[in-house]
Order: sequence, then C-alpha cells, then structure tokens
Amino acid sequence: MMEKMIFGRYIPGDSFVHKLDPRAKLIFVFAFIFIVFFANNAVTYGLLLAFTLLIIFISRIRLYFLINGLKPIVFLMIFTFLLHTLFTREGAVILDFGFLKIYEQGLKQGIFISTRFLVLVFMTSILTLTTSPISITDGLEVLLNPLKKLKAPVHELALMMSISLRFIPTLMDETDKIMKAQMARGSDLSAGPLKDRLKAVVPLLVPLFVSAFKRAEDLATAMEVRGYRGGEGRTRYRQLKWDYRDTICLISLVVLTALLVFYRN
Amino acid sequence: MKVKFLAASAIIAALYIAVTMLVAPISFGQVQFRIAEMFNHLVAFNPRYMLGVVLGVLISNFLFSSVGPIDLIFGVGHTVVTLGIFIIICKFVKNIWTRLIINTFLFTFTMFIIAFQLNIVLELPFWETWLVVAAGEFAVLAISAPIMYLLNKRLNFKNLIESE
Repeated sequence: MMEKMIFGRYIPGDSFVHKLDPRAKLIFVFAFIFIVFFANNAVTYGLLLAFTLLIIFISRIRLYFLINGLKPIVFLMIFTFLLHTLFTREGAVILDFGFLKIYEQGLKQGIFISTRFLVLVFMTSILTLTTSPISITDGLEVLLNPLKKLKAPVHELALMMSISLRFIPTLMDETDKIMKAQMARGSDLSAGPLKDRLKAVVPLLVPLFVSAFKRAEDLATAMEVRGYRGGEGRTRYRQLKWDYRDTICLISLVVLTALLVFYRN
Repeated sequence: MKVKFLAASAIIAALYIAVTMLVAPISFGQVQFRIAEMFNHLVAFNPRYMLGVVLGVLISNFLFSSVGPIDLIFGVGHTVVTLGIFIIICKFVKNIWTRLIINTFLFTFTMFIIAFQLNIVLELPFWETWLVVAAGEFAVLAISAPIMYLLNKRLNFKNLIESE
C-alpha cells in the first residue's frame, strides 16, 4: 500500500532519466547548480535553456507538473525580473515612459537572471520528480560515505531519513484524523480573532505529539528486539547499479561546462 | 547514537514535514507561512531536539519543495548555525520565556544567510531582501512562541525526549 501512495513530488515512469542511478543524478544536479553561474551572455544562457529543455523532453515529464512546481515562486521570479529591468541603468534606452526608462542592459539582466532561476528550478524539480525519495536517500548515503572517515554518522543519518520518509504518510493521516476529530468537537481553526485561532492549534498538536512519541518508542523497541546494532556489517535490500547511462549523463555535463566556458565573455 | 534517540529524531523530522504539508494551507489564512518552523522553538526546552528539526528542514527542502536542492546548503546551514548559537545561549539563560524570545530574534537576525543566498542566485539587493525574509520568519516564530509555551505545559517537552 505504501508503494501506491502518491509520495512527495515523485512521478513514476521509465524514461532515460528515471532509470539513471540516483548517485549520477545527485552529482549532476549539484554540479549543475555551480555550472549555471558560468553563463554570462545570450549564447551561454541560451545553451543552458536548450540543455534543460532537452532534459525535460527525455525525462517525459508533463510540463504541467513543472509549471505546478513554479507556483510558489512565481512572485519571486516576477519581482526579480522587474527589479533588474527597472533599476539597471546601463546601455541605450529602449522604452521611455517619462518617469520610467527601461535600458537595454536592464532588460538583458532581467531576462538573464530569470532564466538562471528558471533553469535551476526546472533541473532540481526533474531530480525530485524522477527519483523516489528513498532512492535519493540511498544515493546520498553512498555519496557521503567518505565522510565516515571523519566520524560523521552517515549511516545513522540515512537511516533516520528513511524512517522519516516511511512515517510522513502515517503522521499525515494522523494529523488529518485529529483535525477532523477536533472539528467534530466544534473547534474552528479558521475563524475568530488571532488569539482564539492560536489556542485552537493547541488541542491539535497535543495528541499529535503524544502519538508521535509513542510511535518512536515502539519503533525503537522493535529495532532493538530485531537486533539493530548500527550500520556495521549490514547488507542492503536495494542495490545501486552504475550503468552506461550514468556515464553518458555525466559526460554530457562535462561537454556543457566546456561549451559554457568557451562561449562566455 | 542510541536507538531510541535515533527513532525519536526521525519521527520529529517526519512530524515537521507532515505539519508543513498538511496544516500550512489552512492554518492562518492571509498570513501564509510554514507553521512547522515553530518546531525551532522545541530546542528551547531540550537541545536534543535539534537533530530532528534539522533533519526535517533537510528533507522538506530537498525532496518536497520545487526550489529544492538550491535551498539545501543555505537553508539547512541557516538552521544548524542558528540552533547551534541558540544552544550555547541556553546554557546561560534558564527562563523559558526569555529563551523563546531570544530564539525568535536570533532566527530573525540569521535570516541574513537566506538573504545572502538570494543575493547570489538572484542578485537581489542584500539589505532589502534581508528585511523582507526576516519579517516573515519573525512573524512565524513570534506567533508560535506562545503556542509552544502552552504545549509545553501539557506535554513537558524536556522529559518527552529525555525519557526516550
């Protein structure tokens, strides 16, 4: 049943991008975040945009999902665009409204920065849309393994992430149930003065905390009973496999970087 | 790391995310915010809550938000740094109310980390951005401080995780 639940932003599929190893995708996205900053003219930003559109195309994600993800940040994007367009005063004047002049450089800057943001958001969205949270956790654990030498609790962190992911739907159900139960008893979360609304949150959170901690205790007992003794000597149910696809994916990134460095000013 | 502490931290993280995803849209109408940020106040009662909260921020930023991984380093860094400073302050301040107030202002102040991030990625002006994001964070924490205080009266957060 857990498998069927719509979980996070992940959309199952079997495209080239879906089949990539999570390690490859993680390296790719983190490198991409830095590479984006190489772009500084029309050609390089165009390259970035084209590359991103290509990835969107081969990931076969419906544009609807990507656009949907943009909703929370539309305001920030428009604000950024306007700010750069209106307040950069360089180059020739393109539009003149008397009190307001739009300069060539300003418009360029506005478009460039918006493109950078859009490309970043799309690329990171593709990662979470095509990779299930649990395989991202697996990938992260392997990638962070070298940190074990510095005594960082990598295994414990990854395990905690997996446990959290497992319990999010359970706790969401629980929150929903408690909310309905309190509403049935006449509590109103959306009306009245602020003070009353604040007070209405308390009877919601008290049972939620109590049940969450009870679950944690049960879980800890269950783990101890089954002989959990940390990561030492544990084997894995889900094995990661590096494929030719993953190498191609990273090579494409190297090529992109080379092109960006070549064409930038 | 003790198994009980590990399990409790993981569940707190899950709770942070569940609350972020469920309660946020309906909670306070016009004032949109992440009500789960109130979990930052848990640290005022016991520093052991820090791990769970940081993990919650990490997972929700990384896996469930569209801005996602861009926010990862700075967003998680912001929480880690601020809670770290706060725990040190807590060694000297024992009164819970004072701690909650200090925490509110501390998180508001350290929002400059987020402003700095926006300054790099979007080249927004640093000071103005700081003002805007800090105002949002201040609203969340100021409103949730009394809630946490009331909750603590019923739940006794200090012992809740200590007995784990």
